[in-house]
Amino acid sequence: MTFEETELQRLVDEIIRLLEKYRDDPKALEIILSELKSLYRKVPIYPGIITMCLPMVVKSVDPKQLKEGDEVSLLMKDDRILTGKISGIAQNEVKLVNCFESEGQKPCGERAVQLKDLKEARLFTREILHKEWPDLDFEE
Amino acid sequence: MPELQLKRGNIVKMEGLVNLCVKEGKVSIVGGLHEKGSKVAIPRAKSLPVEAESDAVIEYTLGSCGKVEKLPGRTIPREWDVLVEEIITKKPRVVLILGEVDTGKSFFSTYIANMLVRQNLRVAVVDGDAGQSDVGPPTTLGVVVVERPVVFLQEVQPHAVYFIGSMSPAGHILEFVVGIKRMVEHGLEKADVTVVNTAGWTAGGPARALRLYEMELLNPDIIVALQRGKELEHLLKCMDQTKVRRISVSKQVRPRSRSDRTFLRELALARYFEGAGRLALDLRKVLLERCYFRTGEPIDPRNLGDASIVYAEKMPEGLFIVLSGELDDKKAQELKAKFRNLHIVRSWDAKNVIVGLANSNNELVGLGVIDEIDYVREKLAVITPVKDASHIAAVQFGSMKITPGGKEIGTIKPGTF
Repeated sequence: MTFEETELQRLVDEIIRLLEKYRDDPKALEIILSELKSLYRKVPIYPGIITMCLPMVVKSVDPKQLKEGDEVSLLMKDDRILTGKISGIAQNEVKLVNCFESEGQKPCGERAVQLKDLKEARLFTREILHKEWPDLDFEE
Repeated sequence: MPELQLKRGNIVKMEGLVNLCVKEGKVSIVGGLHEKGSKVAIPRAKSLPVEAESDAVIEYTLGSCGKVEKLPGRTIPREWDVLVEEIITKKPRVVLILGEVDTGKSFFSTYIANMLVRQNLRVAVVDGDAGQSDVGPPTTLGVVVVERPVVFLQEVQPHAVYFIGSMSPAGHILEFVVGIKRMVEHGLEKADVTVVNTAGWTAGGPARALRLYEMELLNPDIIVALQRGKELEHLLKCMDQTKVRRISVSKQVRPRSRSDRTFLRELALARYFEGAGRLALDLRKVLLERCYFRTGEPIDPRNLGDASIVYAEKMPEGLFIVLSGELDDKKAQELKAKFRNLHIVRSWDAKNVIVGLANSNNELVGLGVIDEIDYVREKLAVITPVKDASHIAAVQFGSMKITPGGKEIGTIKPGTF
C-alpha cells in the first residue's frame, strides 16, 4: 500500500503545521480549534475538505486590506500580539475593540507556588507512544 | 407546431426545454438512430445536437429557455467514431471510461451504447458516479442494459443498483470497489459489451488508490481517457498502454458549478422520494448492515444505573449505548473503566440518515430516510417509496442526512452507528 486511502494523514499534517505556526497566538489557535470542531461535526466524512479549509481560517494579509468588523491578530515589532475586532481604520492607524494582548512565554527561573493558590495542576507526559505502545515506538 | 426541414448531414443544436417528433426521415441523437414517429424530450439546462442521417422533417415545441440553433458541422469528434469502430470490431467485454468531472463521460457512454445498439449488440452501462447518478438515485451505483436508442440513460429502468450511502467515494472506497464490481458482473451477464463510466475523482491518494485497484479488479479490455490536456496522465502511466485510448473532451461540454451539482442531486432525490410513505420495520426481523448497532450482546440498560441510557450492547470495541439525555460524567468514567471504551449515540442521531433497503438476495429495492429508531420497542421507521415492508430483509446505513424532500442536511461520522 503506497497511497493514502484516506485524507486523514494530510489533515493531521496540516493541524501540526498550524499548531506550530500559531503557537504564540492563543486567539488564532482558539479560532482554528473552533473551526476544526465545526468542520469535523459537519463533514466528518470529508477530511480532504477539512484539510483544504483549515489553512484559510487564519491568513496573513496586507494591513491595507483590513476593514471594519474584521477579527484579527496583529503582530507587533516588539513581538507582542494584539487580538480584537477592528472598530475603525484611519490613514496610519487601526483601532481594535475587545482587545487582548499576549506576550508569549517569558522565562521566570525558579518559583515557589502555594497549593492554596492553585486552581488546577496539569501533568505533562512526553513520549506517550513509548509508554502506551512501546513496540510501535520505532527509532527515528 | 413549428417544423424543421433538414438535409442529410445538417446538424442543429436543440436546447431544452424541447419536445421533438421525427415526422420524416432519420436523425441521430447522441449516436442513437431515431426514425419516423420517434419522440424525444430534451429537459431544461440540457442541449443536444441532432444530426440528419437522411433528409428529415422534425416537428418541435419549445418550452421556456428552449432554443434551436443550426450548427456548421459535427460536434462529435472523429476520434470517438474511430474508437466505436474498434469496439465493434474487437467486441471487448469491458470498456472503462476515465475523466475528471464535467468531461462529458455520461454523454460519451451513451454515445458508445447507442452506436453499439445500431450494430445489434447488447450493451450494459455501469454508472459509477454516486453524486451525479445517471442510473438509479444519488448515493447509488447502477447498471442499465441498453437495447434501443436512448437520449439519456435515466430513461432506462436500472437492471441493478448498489447502495453507497454517500455522494462521493471519499471515505467509501470499499463500497465503491465492491459496488462497481457487482454492477460490472451484472453487465457481463446480460450484455456483449459493458461500458463503465467512473466518477470524476482522479487526483489525490485516495482517488489514485480507488482508480488503480478498481482497474486491477475489473481488468478492462479498453481504457478510455477523456482529457482536456494531460490531467489523467498520472493514472495512465501505471496502466497497460496497449489498452489506453486517449480521447479529447468535446468542446460542447459545459462545466457545472458546485451549486448546480447540488441542485441536480437534490432534485433527483426529491423526485425519487415523491409519494414516499412511512414504513415501520421490526428490528428483530430485518438485518442491519454497515453498522455496529445490533452486532453486540444486548445489555439491559436498567442494570447500568443511569436513566439516560435507553439501549446498550457490549461489543469487542466497548460499550454501545444510546442516550436520551446527558450521561453523568462520573457514570461515563465508570462505564469506560468497566467496558474499555464507550460508543455513544443519541436517540435522535439517526433521524434523516439515508439508508439502503435490500431484499433477501441482498439486492437494493429502494432508499429510505430514517424517521425514528425506537430502541425500546425495536422498531425502525423509514420514509421510503417502497410500499411493502415484507420486501425488505436488510437495512444498510449510509453517511448522509437528507430530508425526504431531497435536501442534503449533513453527513455523519463513519462509525456513528
